Amino acid sequence: MKKLILIACSFLFVLATQAQIKKAELTATGLTCAMCSNAINVALKDLSYVDKVVVDIKKSEYRITFKEGADVSIDGLKNAVEDAGFSVGKLNITASFDNVAVSNDAHISYKGNTLHFLEIKNQTLNGEKSFTVVDKGFLTDKQFKKYAAATKMSCVQTGKAAGCCVNDNVKEGSRIYHVTI
Amino acid sequence: MQKKLRRLFLWMACFFALSVQAQQALPDVNYNDPRLPLRLPTPAGDSISLTAFKGKVVLLDFWASWCIPCRHANKDLKKLYAAYNKQGFEIFGVSLDEEISDWKRAIKKDKITWPQVIDNRGWEAVTAVQWNVQELPTSYLFNKQGQLVAMNLEREELEQKIKELLAKP
Repeated sequence: MKKLILIACSFLFVLATQAQIKKAELTATGLTCAMCSNAINVALKDLSYVDKVVVDIKKSEYRITFKEGADVSIDGLKNAVEDAGFSVGKLNITASFDNVAVSNDAHISYKGNTLHFLEIKNQTLNGEKSFTVVDKGFLTDKQFKKYAAATKMSCVQTGKAAGCCVNDNVKEGSRIYHVTI
Repeated sequence: MQKKLRRLFLWMACFFALSVQAQQALPDVNYNDPRLPLRLPTPAGDSISLTAFKGKVVLLDFWASWCIPCRHANKDLKKLYAAYNKQGFEIFGVSLDEEISDWKRAIKKDKITWPQVIDNRGWEAVTAVQWNVQELPTSYLFNKQGQLVAMNLEREELEQKIKELLAKP
């Protein structure tokens, strides 16, 4: 058993990287017309790490620009939307990468958090790249199921590092954001 | 000046949140108040002011072309306008559309017959901020004396109130 876990985990590799999160596009959903309420706009603007929010009516999305060097909390964005009474329909994050090699169903660490890439082609991220958050609560249930099936690791269900992920400096219980490009 | 006004409306919002549903004791807001000018451009390019409707029962209606519930509400407003305008009921529509062409297209499509003006800066529009508009649609109903009587009434409740106010001197 231990061997199996070791083999599985050997496919994981964590690279410390200074990925600076620059901006995001967020689409909200809910039982009532999400864009008809100013609540989401206000809630996002209130976040300490948010510099500007532009409401794009045509695309039904909020274009968020983050403060330079600020500690951006992806969960914080979701919480703001939920506190306003809505849910996240889609969240795209744009961050700058410095030659980071990422593999499918693998983790990289950034700014104290960990990104677990799913349904991607192995590639090297350089410059400004956008990724979509595919954790529970960041997209529809149907869409989430598709990404959840793309890995056997339990972290996709909980959003937290489990036993098998505890390797290469990924602390057990720490937050893992499941993302795709 | 604007901060005082905003505070006034924040007070209104708090008041509504706290007030009992059955009795809505409204704060004393009168659209003849010089702090609430509300003179904005019309589709034709000239401008009208809310105070032009003094003496009428006025529904100040905030909406936008992209607000689906607002577009549905326009159907009801059309019926109310047709039924009660001749008796002294007026609707003053204020759009927060940022694209003027979208606004004009919606007026045409919904066959809007009542006065329309625009403050085309979305949620940040001065009018939206002054009147504390946090969602669309938002409406304020004024009596013939220009006093605020009710907010966000819909359908039967709105019609009832309009009839009631029209019947008063």
